[in-house]
Parts: sequence; structure tokens; C-alpha cells
Amino acid sequence: MRLKKFVALMTASSIAMSLAACGQAAKTEETPKADSVDAAADSADTQNSSEEASSEEAENGTATEDAADNSSSDVDVADNNYTSVVLGETGKDITTTIKLLTHRTDMLADDYPGTNWASYIAAFNEVYPNITVDVEGITDYAEDSLLRLQGGDWGDVMMIPGIDASEYANYFMPYGTVENMESVIRFAKDKQYDDIVYGIPSTGNAQGVLYNKAVFEQAGIDTLPTTPEEFIEDLKLIKEKTDAIPLYTNYAAGWTMGAWDAYIAGTATGDATYMNQKLPHTANPFSDPGDGTHAYNVYKVLYDAVAEGLIEDDYSTTDWEGCKGMINRGEIGTMVLGSWAYSQMQAAGDKPEDIGYMSFPIKVNGKQYASAGPDYAFGINKDASDDNRLAALVFVKWMTNESGFSYNEGGIPINAEDNNYPDLYAAFDGVEYVSDETALPGEEDLKDTLNSDSELNVNNGGDKKVQSIIEHASNGDMTFDEIMDSWNQAWTEAQELSGVEIKY
Amino acid sequence: MNKRKWKQVQVILAFLIIPVGLLILFTYYPFGKMVQFSFYNMKYIGPRKFVGLRNYIQIFKREDILRTLLLSLYYMVGSVVQVFAALYLATIFCFKVKAENFWKGFIFFPYLINGIAIGFIFKFFYTRGFVLDTVLQTIGFNLDNLPYWLKDQSINNWSLVYSSVWRYLGSTMVLFLGAMMSVDSTLYEAASIDGANKWQTFWHIILPSIKTIVTLNVILSITGSLSAFEPPYVITSGANGTGTFFVVMNDIAHTSQKVGLASAMAVFLLVIIFIAKFLQEGIFRFLFRNAGTDADERTLKKQRKIAAKSKQQIGGK
Repeated sequence: MRLKKFVALMTASSIAMSLAACGQAAKTEETPKADSVDAAADSADTQNSSEEASSEEAENGTATEDAADNSSSDVDVADNNYTSVVLGETGKDITTTIKLLTHRTDMLADDYPGTNWASYIAAFNEVYPNITVDVEGITDYAEDSLLRLQGGDWGDVMMIPGIDASEYANYFMPYGTVENMESVIRFAKDKQYDDIVYGIPSTGNAQGVLYNKAVFEQAGIDTLPTTPEEFIEDLKLIKEKTDAIPLYTNYAAGWTMGAWDAYIAGTATGDATYMNQKLPHTANPFSDPGDGTHAYNVYKVLYDAVAEGLIEDDYSTTDWEGCKGMINRGEIGTMVLGSWAYSQMQAAGDKPEDIGYMSFPIKVNGKQYASAGPDYAFGINKDASDDNRLAALVFVKWMTNESGFSYNEGGIPINAEDNNYPDLYAAFDGVEYVSDETALPGEEDLKDTLNSDSELNVNNGGDKKVQSIIEHASNGDMTFDEIMDSWNQAWTEAQELSGVEIKY
Repeated sequence: MNKRKWKQVQVILAFLIIPVGLLILFTYYPFGKMVQFSFYNMKYIGPRKFVGLRNYIQIFKREDILRTLLLSLYYMVGSVVQVFAALYLATIFCFKVKAENFWKGFIFFPYLINGIAIGFIFKFFYTRGFVLDTVLQTIGFNLDNLPYWLKDQSINNWSLVYSSVWRYLGSTMVLFLGAMMSVDSTLYEAASIDGANKWQTFWHIILPSIKTIVTLNVILSITGSLSAFEPPYVITSGANGTGTFFVVMNDIAHTSQKVGLASAMAVFLLVIIFIAKFLQEGIFRFLFRNAGTDADERTLKKQRKIAAKSKQQIGGK
């Protein structure tokens, strides 16, 4: 009897243990799902919605505290901020080791086709032999870097992950005021809060159109198109004179369709404030303005290309990995993608020299613009030692000014005085770069709210709506104006729901 | 209660408390939360506003959501085909078949493949000029006459349904087969001695014995077709008129972050599944009213009827 009891108890407890272990596993699995720092904080809110107000207050409380905290670190950076660092002089006497967290794990490999981290650091050490730089690559950077950031002990320099602007001051050292920084670097406003810059972009990308030079030559196109009409004419020429697919849509991949949204702001309006400041306050933003600009004329290029049969035969089974080799071999004429895709297309086959990049064919008052945006930005740990912070500052300035990193990676130079653009931008001569400004204070969430309520998700994963343009154009069941009207309606309803003031 | 009984209760409680606790914590509590969310206008982050039944009203007002329910009909037709085909194959395996285990494994194999992998297989299978088109061309079809399997909105849903039937046919068949195996083999012998043919054996012995499994499979198929997700999500990402209820719900919840509306959709789907289940139960009670354990009763009834009839006839004369 005793034995039986004992066995029963043991079994019960072991089962209990194993179940508890299961519960544990389920919980730990959940943690990485929390997308951002706030998501984690907010899931706590989810537990108890009634306490939300009070927890918000608490957050505000910590924010002000941190701001106060920050002013102290402001003082010691005033001696050595980004603008005052003179490379080769400042910090020459420091002997220290700094650690860099990066998303570019490919650049850690010895066989990386471009310049790898080891070569950059070797070059840096020629100027600063006493500063050792350790590089740690993180594969799943967007998520893991957030965990590392919260852990605190992550090193000295990192690429700033997706956190709220109001949180920058809690983690990163300020580089200087926006006004001062704008005179020395491009995209200074990208990582700013309250007029203080917390991140220096590593490089910048522009939005344009990929094309195959050999296909264009064969089709007899000698000047690149600058208006939607010219572009459609050129696509027709490609269809007529070559075997290539004039415009490959990449419909099936989804996100490649949502990428069209990136062209509706700076590129199609020449206005840096359009995307984040004006769009939420614009009445019927998808109507035809009549002058060949704005969202209407960007999406119309796609609709017309589909309606005229200038895209691939079966758009529902396009293959993203496959398209890279196809454009390289000259089986595709054009693809509408950001400049980041350029090097991938070059690397996908034997004819990298055939890949070209041009500005999106649209003109605003006779002038072409191209949306440009910064890549990940370098942030410096505000809690690192004084020596390390100065060393990190010197390293960041060296990376953006002297290293040639941006040029080697095919990006827009960060140093405001550096006009040495990579070959890829050869066709952007006379095109003005426009970098979207952030939302006005107090309206940071407005566009997200409208995107959510209208379900259009402009420039935020709205793949379905752009896919629907292709479907309707191909099936001919809706005219372009009808599609745009339905979007306008959704946008207007969302604006009414939030009580947005219509200003434009 | 004596001491021993009390001990027993203790052991039972010790066994139960953790699984029930986990069930409540990870199933019923989140479900309750979801029902609660369905009355709010909220995102994952940020303030939430109580809106009463507005989310539910929206479901009925929005044509794009209601239309996705019609897509379920495609999958239901597919599941009917699947149940019948599985029943047919299982019955064949019940009788003598050469290389029986090989064929069973052959048909069951797709079920073992990961659903995402199946999605990719069929994506290439249906791509213009790829697998399916090549096969059809070798047997004499002209590529120009073949439809675009995923582009053409009149057939792309059938293409997706086929991939789902292909995947689940084996598992449905194995469930049937398992039930058929448990039928007492003396019944088959008795039937063959009585001179029953295969159809009669199936109708009078096999089908009544596996009634519960048939019911189970039909319930699984109906709930499965109402909540079809993987084929459209992986193969077409729900675009081009293939977005089922689940795919649209996923989009609303994650891309558009309308958590309240998506929760309401989930509750709505649950109600539909309940309704479908009750309807199905009623239909089955009607269909199987003559089958199963009450078979003897039925013969009795029949005899009584015949007797009554003959009496009537006699009386009439």
C-alpha cells in the first residue's frame, strides 16, 4: 500500500513537473514575439485595461525623469560632439576597446565581395592604433537588438533599432542639435527627438526603377523616360522589339507590391513633409490632381502597364528569388524597387554591368524628385565610460566621413559635403533627393491610426491594395478611377472617425 | 467519506489541477479576453474604446468579409469529395489488396509533409509552364488552351481546394480504416456466407459500424473548410480573390491592427461553426435513422408494416 501510494505521488509530481515545464516553454516562446520595447510594456497593459491610464502616467513620469538624467550627459558631450570631432586629432591619446553591434553579418565573412568589417577596422586603426573595435553581428537584428538594448550590457555602438523617438534619450548619447547636424550630414532628422540628434545613418537609399541596359538598347531607347507617358511608351517598345518582360511586378511576393507606396510622397510631390505631415490632413489624396503628380499618377503607371499587357504573363506565380537572375540575364526590362535591390540584382548573374537604375518617371513642375531615406543609424551607448563614448564618437565619424562605407555599399553619402555618389546614381543627375520628414509633434500616431482605420496601410504593409490594382486592371472589372475613389472613400471615413482637420 | 476515499480524491485533484489550470490559463482565459476585445475599438498598442456591438455590426455590413464566407463553400465541396474518396479507398483496403501497406503509405504520405512546404510545392505546381502544364502538355493538351491555375479567378479557388484535398485525403482515409479494422471480422465472414456482395457489406456492416468516425470526419471537414488558412496564405497570400475568412481576419488583425474587429470575426466564426455542427447533427440523425444498432428494430418495424399492410389488404378485400 505504501509503495503504491509513493509511486502514485511520484507519478503525479513528475507529470505535474513536465506540464509545468511545458507551460514554461510556452511562455518563453512568447517573449521574442513582442515586437518592440513598447509592445512588451503594452502587453502588461493588456492584462488590465482599467489600469491603463495610471500606467501611462507612470510612463510619462519616467520619461521626464530620463530627460532630466539626460541633461547631465548633455554637458560632457558639449565638449566633444559630432561636429567638433576632428578625425586624426580628437581622441588620439585614448587607449580602449569599443564594441559594435551590427546587422551586417555578411560583412563579417572574409569572402564578402565588398569591403568587410576587418578591412574597415584595419583602415581605422591606421589612424587610431590604440582604439580596438570588436564587431558582433546579429542575424535577426530587428528583434534581437531590442532585447540586447533593454539588457543594457550591449557594447558601445549599435545600429538603432525600431524604438519610439521619445525613448532615444534613455539609451543613446546625443550627437548635437538638428540645426548643427544638418550642416554636416544628410538625413539628420531621421533619429531626432526634441531637436536633438541621436543617430547618424550608416548610408542612404533612394527610390527609383531598376532596368536592364541591354534590353533598353535592344528596344532602341536611348533616353531614359521621365514621365509616366514616356515610361509606358518605352515598355511598349520593349514588348515590341525584345523578348523581355517589360515590367515585372513581383505580385506574388506581396511586399514588393507594397513598395509602390514609397513613390507617392517625395518622388511624386517633391515635398518632404507630404508623407508624414500632409497626407493625414489631405482630402481625397488619391484623386487626380491634374498635373501628372501625386499618388494617382504613380499607381496609374501600374494600372496602365497591366491593362496594356506590359507585365509578365502570369502575375499570380511570380518568383522573387527567380526575378533577380531574370533581370540580370535580360529577361526582364524594368522592376520598381528601391536602390537597395541594385546590388542583389548585380550579384545574381554574369552580367552585373547590364543592371541600371533610374529615377521614377514622374515630374513635378518639370523637375524630377526621388524619395531617399536613411538606412540603420549608428547610436552610441549613453552609459558607456567617457573614453569609450569619445572613441565611439570618433569611430562613427570616421565610418561616415572617411571609410567610404556608404559608397562601397552603393548608398547615398552621409557626409553633407561628399557628393561622390556611386555609379548606380549616374542616371539621377538633376534629380533632387527628398527625405521624408517625421510627423509633427503630437501627431506621431495619426498616420498609423488612419492607415489602420482605412485598412489602406499606406507605406506600411499595404500590399493587398496595390495587388488589387493589378487584379482589377487584368480582369477589367474596375476602372482605375473607381479604385482610387474607393480608396479616397476609405481614407475619408478614417479621417472622419478620428476627427482629423482637413488642411490640404 | 472514509480516509481512503479522501486520499483518492487528493490524488485525482493532484492530477487534475495542473492540466485544468493550464487549460484555463491558455485557452479559456485568452478566449474570454478575445470576447472582451471584440467589444472594443483597439490596436495592440494604445488606448481602447468601448464600442458595444459596432464590430459585429461591421462584419455584416462589410461585403468583403461576408464574401469570404462564400469561399468556404469551395472548401466544403472539396471536403465532401475528400470524405467520399477516403471512404471509398478505405473500403477497398478493407478487402484484399496487393501491396496494401505500400498503397496506404503512398496515400498517407502527403499528410506528413509540412503545410508550408505543401504550399510551395503547389505554387510551383501551378506556375505557368511548370509542373502541371508540362504534364498536361505531354498528354496532348496545348498550353494556349490551358487555364492560368492561380490567376484566373474562376478556377483559382478550386486549385487551392485541390491542394487541401490532396493533403488531407490520407489522414481521413486512415481514420476510416482504423474504424473499419475494429469491426468484428466474423461479421464480414457471416456476410459473405450469407452471399452479400461488396456493396451490401459496405452498406449494412461497414457504414453502420463506423458511423461515429464518419460524423467526426464530417465535423472536422466542415470546421476545417470554414477556417481554411494555409493553402491561400502560402500559395496566393490571399490575393486575387482567394482570401478566406481566416486570411482576411489575419490581415485585419496584423496588418491593419483592428484587433477588436478581428476578435469579433473570430467569435462570429465560432458561432457559425456551432450552427454548422448542429445542422450537421440533425442531418446525420436523419440520414442514419435506418442504420446502426437499431437495424434489428427496423426489420421488426418493416415486418410489422408488411403485416399491417397485408392485414389492410385482407381487410380491404
